[in-house]
Amino acid sequence: MNMKIIIAILFCLAPFSISAQEDEKPEQFGLNHLTEYLSLKQSDISFRSDYTEPDLFRLKVIADLMNQPLEMISYVDNLKSSFVKKQPGLVASYLFQDLQKANQTYREKAYFADISEIQRNYNLYYTDITLNQLLTRAAVYLDVVFPRSIDKSLALLSKDEKKFLTNQFKELLVQRVDDEFLSVEAMDSLDKIEEVYIEEFVAFGNKIDKDPIIDAGISSVKELMLEINSLRQLLKSKVISSEKILNDAVYLPKNANLDAYLGRQSGWKIGGTGNDYYSGDYKFILDFGGDDVYDLSYDPENPHGVIIIDLSGNDTYRSQTDFTLGSGCLSVGLLFDFEGNDRYDAKSFSIGSGFFGMGMLYDVSGDDRYDGDTHIQGAGSFGLGLLIDEDGRDMYNAALYSQGFGFIEGLGSIFDIKGADSYYAGGKYKDILRYDEHYLSLSQGFGYGLRPYASGGIGAIVDMQGNDSYYSDIFAQAASYWWSLGVIYDSSGNDSYNCFQYGQGCGTHMTLGVLIDDYGNDVYFGKGLMQGVGHDYSCGLLLDRHGNDTYTAYDLSQGAGSANGAGLLIDNEGDDRYFIKNKKNTQGYGNPRRDFGSIGLFIDLSGTDQYYGNGKDNFYWKTKSKWGGGMDIETIKKDSSEVKNEK
Amino acid sequence: MRNKFLLLTLLIIISIVGNISAQSSFKKQVDSLFVIASSGELKYRDLIKPTIEELAELGKDIVPILVDKLDTKSARERLTIINIFKKIGSDAVPYLITSLKNPNGLIVQRVCWAIGDIKDSSAVDALIGVTSHTRWQVRDQAVGALGDIADNKADDAVLCALHDSIGQVRKAAVVSVGKMRIIESVSQLIHLLGDDFYGARMSAAEALLKLDSNYVAESLADSLKSTNTFVRSLGCFILGEIATDYAVDILHRTFLNSTGDLKLHTSLALINADPNDLCGYQNLIVNADFDKFSMLKIKSAISAVQDADNSLK
Repeated sequence: MNMKIIIAILFCLAPFSISAQEDEKPEQFGLNHLTEYLSLKQSDISFRSDYTEPDLFRLKVIADLMNQPLEMISYVDNLKSSFVKKQPGLVASYLFQDLQKANQTYREKAYFADISEIQRNYNLYYTDITLNQLLTRAAVYLDVVFPRSIDKSLALLSKDEKKFLTNQFKELLVQRVDDEFLSVEAMDSLDKIEEVYIEEFVAFGNKIDKDPIIDAGISSVKELMLEINSLRQLLKSKVISSEKILNDAVYLPKNANLDAYLGRQSGWKIGGTGNDYYSGDYKFILDFGGDDVYDLSYDPENPHGVIIIDLSGNDTYRSQTDFTLGSGCLSVGLLFDFEGNDRYDAKSFSIGSGFFGMGMLYDVSGDDRYDGDTHIQGAGSFGLGLLIDEDGRDMYNAALYSQGFGFIEGLGSIFDIKGADSYYAGGKYKDILRYDEHYLSLSQGFGYGLRPYASGGIGAIVDMQGNDSYYSDIFAQAASYWWSLGVIYDSSGNDSYNCFQYGQGCGTHMTLGVLIDDYGNDVYFGKGLMQGVGHDYSCGLLLDRHGNDTYTAYDLSQGAGSANGAGLLIDNEGDDRYFIKNKKNTQGYGNPRRDFGSIGLFIDLSGTDQYYGNGKDNFYWKTKSKWGGGMDIETIKKDSSEVKNEK
Repeated sequence: MRNKFLLLTLLIIISIVGNISAQSSFKKQVDSLFVIASSGELKYRDLIKPTIEELAELGKDIVPILVDKLDTKSARERLTIINIFKKIGSDAVPYLITSLKNPNGLIVQRVCWAIGDIKDSSAVDALIGVTSHTRWQVRDQAVGALGDIADNKADDAVLCALHDSIGQVRKAAVVSVGKMRIIESVSQLIHLLGDDFYGARMSAAEALLKLDSNYVAESLADSLKSTNTFVRSLGCFILGEIATDYAVDILHRTFLNSTGDLKLHTSLALINADPNDLCGYQNLIVNADFDKFSMLKIKSAISAVQDADNSLK
């Protein structure tokens, strides 16, 4: 009797079991299958947290992923799903979770302000209730929540330590083009000074709690978006025009103190629908339209919040100093631009830069151009830097530490939702350690820590649609250095990835890099340490799920592990081409360092593929290495990207 | 008498001051050279090698200065120091042995590494002394250094480390027993083919290939039915690499009497053991009942040995 019941239960469960097998993602099947063939298992790709002394800046998500690097695939899938159109606050909230430290059990909130704290300070100037609600909300954050939250964040720091942040600490991220001409002694001396700065910082950096100021920034984004949307709805309904809103104001007596009137305070400006010009260090700008020009500056010695809202027009935003254009430096900086083909011409620490704070640039539509130097376009250091561009054919141009860059306790990200975009990073600061004629990029989904003093952060680019081009030189494109994470997720389009070295799913020195491209016929090109490579207890993963792709590299690439690292290249579907120059350390190669070797896995799961290297179509291979190999098998019948194209 | 005493005191002071001054000047010289030797700048690369040579020529006197620098956070500096110690050779060993008592575990692990590179057997006893260090990194480096020196006085210490709770230490021990050709380790090495840490697991396979092949093959024969999948797959791999008549016979018999993954592992090992198919196993294997992926693995293995054979021709 009992046996019959068991058989019946098993019979009922059988379909679920089969369904579970069917649900296994192709890349998971591939990983299981190849590791088994090589007498390995997926959990062999794991790194101890104590190869070196753990520091106090390590992020929990990175510590967890170092333990299980293959979970990076799920991490990226969740990251891309975190974005909801027209709700930048949601993705910011999601990213904030990833800034939890490994040793952190409680996360401090922003200062909570009562609206009465503001209402008692201001008289109303404008009569429109919707506008006043927006201005009141902004004032609450600018006057109360941001300053008090940064006070909470830096409460344990002395005056000198606070000054250190915008001086010596900033210098750690600033390069000089003339460094290449220095003598060895001068260079050594600079290195030593930098080392002293780092040691000084490490001694007190753990007293910084970035959470209150970032939480304040996220709350402000959510609340301001509600008020801005109400105002935009009002204007769209044509119940009232922007001219009328601005003209309906109270009569101001002679010699009135403007600072007592909401919207007329010093550092505040409200512009109409004409072409306006703004110049200076502002706290708040609301512009109703027109092709405007902004020449903005910021004094880090007098930090404050900045909120800029431009409702329409082809605008030009220019930096006169660092820390502008959606830049939070020891505070929160937000820039919302809702329409138009805009141009953002920045210096450094700008365009979605969070530096001991939160910076966000939210551009809803238009073909935009973003230019600047260092720590820009979604860059975070002890903070959250976010650049969201929801539509248009955009151009991103930067020199260093940019385009989805995360430094210590920082997360920087670009979310570009639609349009054929181009990303360029590099060309300014030479890589004097390695080459005469190559430039550092350290950008485009790049995480960076100070080895071996402080773990780094998370840098990510999420690009959802369009044929995109990524160009960079040394260290870029889903790569990282020292207990960090670099991510690129590109959903669709025929994309082109071009990077010289250390990129395209690359981790170097106890760190992680993951590039996932879902659809399109993509091209990956580079020289070395590319396309799924992990060096020195690191994991680099390149996963391309669909499309007929072309991969080209010279050496130590395409599923290569070096110095006990692990490198994986997985291509699920399509007729692909793989070219390499050096067969000895590519396409499923493990370097023998420290006696026990590394892991290199090369997986192609379907299609008629072409190889120049160790691989072959319909073939399993083991390379003469410790430990690596590959397989090209047929597991999937039809390339769904082709199905999509056929429609 | 009093004048003589004053003069003597003065001479002693001058001598001490002179000595201190000379020491300080020597340290400055070493520091200055070390900056260049450990420089990573591309344009100074030509200076690095001669400067390392120059430092090494200064001999044992610079060892204490460099040991003090061994806790550096710079990987480049660390490698430079180890390189200099290696070039100084045995003259550096007495002070390095003393440094194994350093309270800083980081320095001790790096000193072990340097001693292993120098391969001086006078350090064996001191190294054995730190194989039970509380810091696993020290145990790892000490056991590894004992393998590099390969003095059988350390057999017991290395065998003991095969049971360490930390995978990296087991790996170091596995590598060392291979280098030291410790035959008593065979059964433990076979057990370690199923180790949870791939470093220990794969290194155990390599170590077994360095030991007496008949004894290893004999010991492996019963292990092919292990419940641990890695013991089965790596066991077959080792027999295929050994490729003696006895090893091939074990594989053949197992092939005939097995199914599933063991049949596949024995097939791949047989193809490897007999690349020219002198015994005609390949026909037997390709006609056996395998799923499509297993058959592709077999055909790939046959193709690979044929390619290797063609490249030799």
